[in-house]
Amino acid sequence: MTKLVATLIGLVWVIALSAQSDVDVFLIARNTGEKVLSNNDTIRVFGFAENLGSQPGVPGPTIVANEGDSVHIDVWNVSQGAPHTIHLHGLDVDQQNDGVPHLSFDIPHMDHGFYHFKAPHAGTYLYHCHVASTIHVQAGMYGLIIIRPTDGGNTTWNNGYYYHKEFSFFLSEIDTTWHTDSVLEHDHDTSFAIHYVEIPKFDPQFFLINGFSDQQLAENQVVLNSESGSRNYIRLTNIGYCGTRVILPPSLNAKIIDSDGRPLPEIEYSDTVYVYPGERYGLLTEANEELTDSIEFQYFDLNTGQIKNSQFIPVNIEGFNSVVDENMDNSPLVVLPNPFADSFIIKTQLEQNSSVNIIVSDVTGKIVTTHYEGDVLVGEYYCELGEGIKNNGTYFVTLIVDGRTVSTVSIIKQ
Amino acid sequence: MEKVLSPFIYFHMKKTATLLVFGAVVISSMAANISETLYINRGQFMTSDSSTFSYTAFNRSSVFEQENARLVADVNDNFDIKVINNDSIVHGFDIKGYAGVSNTIQPGDSIIVACSFSSESVFIYYDNLNYPTNAYMGLASMIVVSSNQHSKFYWNIKEHEKQFNDTISSGYAVDWQEYYPDYFTINSKSNPDINTDIDARITGNIGDTIDIYMINTGQSIHSIHYHGYHSEIIHSSKFPHHQGRLKDTFAVYPMEIVRLQMVPDQEGEYPVHDHNLVAVSGGNIYPNGMFLTILIQQ
Repeated sequence: MTKLVATLIGLVWVIALSAQSDVDVFLIARNTGEKVLSNNDTIRVFGFAENLGSQPGVPGPTIVANEGDSVHIDVWNVSQGAPHTIHLHGLDVDQQNDGVPHLSFDIPHMDHGFYHFKAPHAGTYLYHCHVASTIHVQAGMYGLIIIRPTDGGNTTWNNGYYYHKEFSFFLSEIDTTWHTDSVLEHDHDTSFAIHYVEIPKFDPQFFLINGFSDQQLAENQVVLNSESGSRNYIRLTNIGYCGTRVILPPSLNAKIIDSDGRPLPEIEYSDTVYVYPGERYGLLTEANEELTDSIEFQYFDLNTGQIKNSQFIPVNIEGFNSVVDENMDNSPLVVLPNPFADSFIIKTQLEQNSSVNIIVSDVTGKIVTTHYEGDVLVGEYYCELGEGIKNNGTYFVTLIVDGRTVSTVSIIKQ
Repeated sequence: MEKVLSPFIYFHMKKTATLLVFGAVVISSMAANISETLYINRGQFMTSDSSTFSYTAFNRSSVFEQENARLVADVNDNFDIKVINNDSIVHGFDIKGYAGVSNTIQPGDSIIVACSFSSESVFIYYDNLNYPTNAYMGLASMIVVSSNQHSKFYWNIKEHEKQFNDTISSGYAVDWQEYYPDYFTINSKSNPDINTDIDARITGNIGDTIDIYMINTGQSIHSIHYHGYHSEIIHSSKFPHHQGRLKDTFAVYPMEIVRLQMVPDQEGEYPVHDHNLVAVSGGNIYPNGMFLTILIQQ
């Protein structure tokens, strides 16, 4: 009887873990939004709202789902103007759901359009209107899509990196000339799917992060507040028409781990990231000291390379995260103690007999020690390393199993 | 009057006394000798809205065509490229990243460039004189060397500011810090004409291995977005460490080479376009710019 109960409990647990949900999203496409800029001017915007009583925000609501979820998006066009769509950027959906008017469908005024997709690899994606997209994206019709791992937890993807805090910085610009009626009320013949539209010269005056600029950033808590020892996952997305150079404080020990919803084959250790229109990047940061600094976002012209503007997000690393997070045990690679003095223990779980390669590198990427075992039996695997590491500082431990990079964690010697 | 440049890699092994040399001769005998003649022609570039501006191009005949000739060969093939300056001003010739072939060509004169490539590679050949002006005015294209049987597509990405071309053609200098292009092309074509270019428009079937060779011979950075599929970066000349990344959007810098590989996993017709959405326009009209579609079938 006890065995039966245990089996049933186990079965329910397995079903719960593997259960994928339906995620229903409702968006109202509006042409009559207003946005207050950092100089207190108000401009007209297009955008997506969650109900008729709310203004369409720029950016629109963030859509969140877990990998494997079935996502259903109902877009209601209440624009009294041009048709709208949503393109599910980077999700590689089928053609019908791709949101390009002449290849999929568009949504006329007062109609609903329905989009369906199965959430793919965990990562950062976005949606935007693809009707006269040069105009409609600048007008404000875009939003973020975050796909979390299957269990919805704080890992970058299934069996990815555990993180304590998550931050999203969504980059765009505003040229107020484009937000006048003469531009926004463009010709649209609903008998055609392609709308030929005249566009003005693009010369933006406002440079946005999550829809805000300048003093609005701090006012709206667009900041990076964390603790020493906490691992932060930063999502960077660019839907503007400028390139963006993102410069992080070196003390954040940033490493670039994914882009466009896919892990990078090799981690890039860099405090500077270039994010071009339509691109997304995922970064891990982990400061080992308290600091007050800022992340600089340089918006540069793609034709001339000239920097047009810089925005700054305050960084406050205060206190030390000494709480042992039980979720860290779910990480495919556990390194203890951290910080370490003489040596540290590596722990991982091997699902089959495997070769194990461990590489320890410093913040410049220089390999300081390696450990290789060619035929390790299935089960828990332990290894002690670090005795040869002389200098205090931050190091990165990368676990490679059967030639595949499984995880990288940072560790401090002090 | 011809000037013959020294070949960088050339197989002259005739002695068969050693196995090594014998092997080399075997390899050499498998390579083809390719003779190409390129004319530097001046003419009028015609845009998607029938505007025209002064342009120059490397063509295979003395008749101006706005699309440059593309040189394609197998690994170890030997090129003899004769370049004839059909223009009234001095031009240059160089292959970016390939040593020893840079030279100038007087009006009416010609040069012969001998070159060979021992591995799969992509190069930009261009007019290096008065850089970037002469290359901007059109004189830049690609050499593709491969040894596989994948489907192949070729993109020479570029943008143009009509006023700049007219100013340069009149003999005046331009201020590149004021550059604001108004036409955006792939293989000298804009939407919808790009979709008629069988070398540019990606077509294939599910499961095909498709190689896409891209060069940016303009002055702007272009951020190319693929709907429907992620592609693997096989090679980036500017960012070698990007190799192996799976991307749906990526930047291509001026004079950069990017080689992509795509293995489609679903059928459909999907757009590919510059995600600097201003570049989807042409003559300030959306969507007459850098926009085309992929067509994948079962």
